[in-house]
Amino acid sequence: MQRLKWRHLPVEVAEVALGQDADFEEFDVLFLGGGSDREQDIMAADLKSRRDGLGRAIEAGVVVLAICGGYQMLGHFYRTAGGREIPGLSLLDLHTVAGPRRMIGNVALELELPGGVAWAVGFENHSGRTFLGRGVRPLGRVVAGNGNNGSDGWEGARYRNVFCSYLHGPLLPKNPLLADHLLQLALARRGEGQTLSPLDDGLENLANRVMYERVTRAGTRKGPSGRR
Amino acid sequence: MSRVRGTRGSTLPGRVALKICPRFLRLAVRQVRRGVVMVTGTNGKTTTNNMVAGVLESAGYRVIANREGANLVWGVAAAFVAGAGAFGRIKADFATLEVDEASLPVVASHLAPDLLVVTNFFRDQLDRYGELDRTVELVQRAIGKLPLTRLVLNADDPLVAQLGKGENKTLFFGLAQTVRLTATVQTREARFCPACGRELSYAFYHYSQLGDYRCLTCGFARPGAAVEGQAVRGGDRLEFTVRWPAGQTSVSLDLPGYYNVYNALAAFSVGVALGLPEKAMVEGLARFAPAIGRMERFSHRGRPVYLNLVKNPTGFNESLAAMLTGSGTKDVFMAINDNDADGRDISWLWDVDFEALARDPAPYLSFTCAGIRAQDMALRLKYAGVPVELIRVIPGLVEGIEGALAGRGALVYLFSTYTALWRSQAILKEVLARGEEPATGLAERRRALR
Repeated sequence: MQRLKWRHLPVEVAEVALGQDADFEEFDVLFLGGGSDREQDIMAADLKSRRDGLGRAIEAGVVVLAICGGYQMLGHFYRTAGGREIPGLSLLDLHTVAGPRRMIGNVALELELPGGVAWAVGFENHSGRTFLGRGVRPLGRVVAGNGNNGSDGWEGARYRNVFCSYLHGPLLPKNPLLADHLLQLALARRGEGQTLSPLDDGLENLANRVMYERVTRAGTRKGPSGRR
Repeated sequence: MSRVRGTRGSTLPGRVALKICPRFLRLAVRQVRRGVVMVTGTNGKTTTNNMVAGVLESAGYRVIANREGANLVWGVAAAFVAGAGAFGRIKADFATLEVDEASLPVVASHLAPDLLVVTNFFRDQLDRYGELDRTVELVQRAIGKLPLTRLVLNADDPLVAQLGKGENKTLFFGLAQTVRLTATVQTREARFCPACGRELSYAFYHYSQLGDYRCLTCGFARPGAAVEGQAVRGGDRLEFTVRWPAGQTSVSLDLPGYYNVYNALAAFSVGVALGLPEKAMVEGLARFAPAIGRMERFSHRGRPVYLNLVKNPTGFNESLAAMLTGSGTKDVFMAINDNDADGRDISWLWDVDFEALARDPAPYLSFTCAGIRAQDMALRLKYAGVPVELIRVIPGLVEGIEGALAGRGALVYLFSTYTALWRSQAILKEVLARGEEPATGLAERRRALR
């Protein structure tokens, strides 16, 4: 939002409350977050009733950013440690399986963006391991940290204009190239093909670089070792 | 572990005592003649506990307390070691101990308190994923094993007030509706009824989930507060009225921060529960000087400098609200670390209402961002709308504090997360001691501090 305001582009944030009617296709960018188990259950139940509308919006190219719990919910199911499968929205070809240990810590990624490779940083905190099907591609390659499942080296998911990630921290301010990519896609969908004017991203790039160097220097070691 | 280290080894004697004699606490407490008070909760433990100690001392009692906030079992033991005279004889009338929420079951199994104060339960920096529910459950279960303990509970916090539904004798304290002059805007996330899970309805809020709540589904509601604060006034100093079943009096505190009214009410309630004279409470609170980093006040070239610990969104919001009440120009320093004791995930900074600073940026001359996550702090301020030209990134604490003090503001505010607090205090004292003397030998001193 700030990055649009700084460019003098009008922007409005609408919160869609539980049970409130909303036509997702009318929005430029949708955000799905995560929360505690209790909060997530409430959100999942609400999204069930909106599944088809959300699916149409995704197919129509609406930009969606889904983090952590929001990411998992878009997939086919979440399998608990007890083997029970909680169905997801099945809007993206991926599924999540509860893991034995929580994956917590800083993450560094390499992202392919239209302008080239970008280095992204963030913080992950999840016990679900997510596996991608053929219909989606990963958001980025893990340089340090766990990512989707701690084993295949990928983080997040992409499908049409949907971007999913376990990274918060939050994700966009510290990764301005990704933030602007989302905005550019949203503008393009509106038929406004203008290129976003450049901003002074000095602080953004500094925060990104400092963390990227620190996290990759510490390697993929877990825990507080290798930290100042 | 680092949480213990953060308190500068003040728990070591306690560790030794417990190692030599695992029953140390059980034996030590027998020598406390009148009673044991414990204080737990998310925010305000140290301040409340020290206020309780002050009230008891004002009443003429000898008190053992873990004043610096070492609140795990070793810290509690260390307080007894420090309170012991020659031959290990402890001469105290009361012990008043702040206890970490998660440590309460262990500590209370060693010594059952006569009074247990619970201040509040706020989401912590470590608590983005429902840890709070577990913390409340831990405290609840500990209380279940303390049937004789009298509870002193915050009526305004639904998560705390629910603890009073059991068999324990309970004294509630709270704040009547008052108009806050300056407050930050806080995300009013839905507050759910701890009894039935439905959304609570509020007649008024003080901050976070504190206020006059009622569940329209099951009827759970704010209990009547036997000790109630009213008519809060002031900014740099606080004045308010306390009404309790036996009377009404005026209380003044020589420190800022609306949240300190709650801490004082909790301490006042302990006095009421123990049957102390009104004078002890009023004088004990009036004389109260805050512990390290709890709006600790220093003086630099005749202007006040405040050092304040920040560890979660509610605490940071209330600290900002206290800063907003200070009149005059301001230089601000924020040290953010992400060690284990600070919380490794610093995204909680994005839940703090720094936008309040951008709404009225006129009083601010500079924002110095320091610590391991200096850059993230600066970025947060930028996205809050704080003018970028006021934001400085100076990761080193020495250089950062010197930079903030070099400003021309009428007031200086230093905010620090847990692991940067003691060093920030040491650096601040060093710089203040240096005073007006010329800056020779500065480099050497800097090296010594580093």
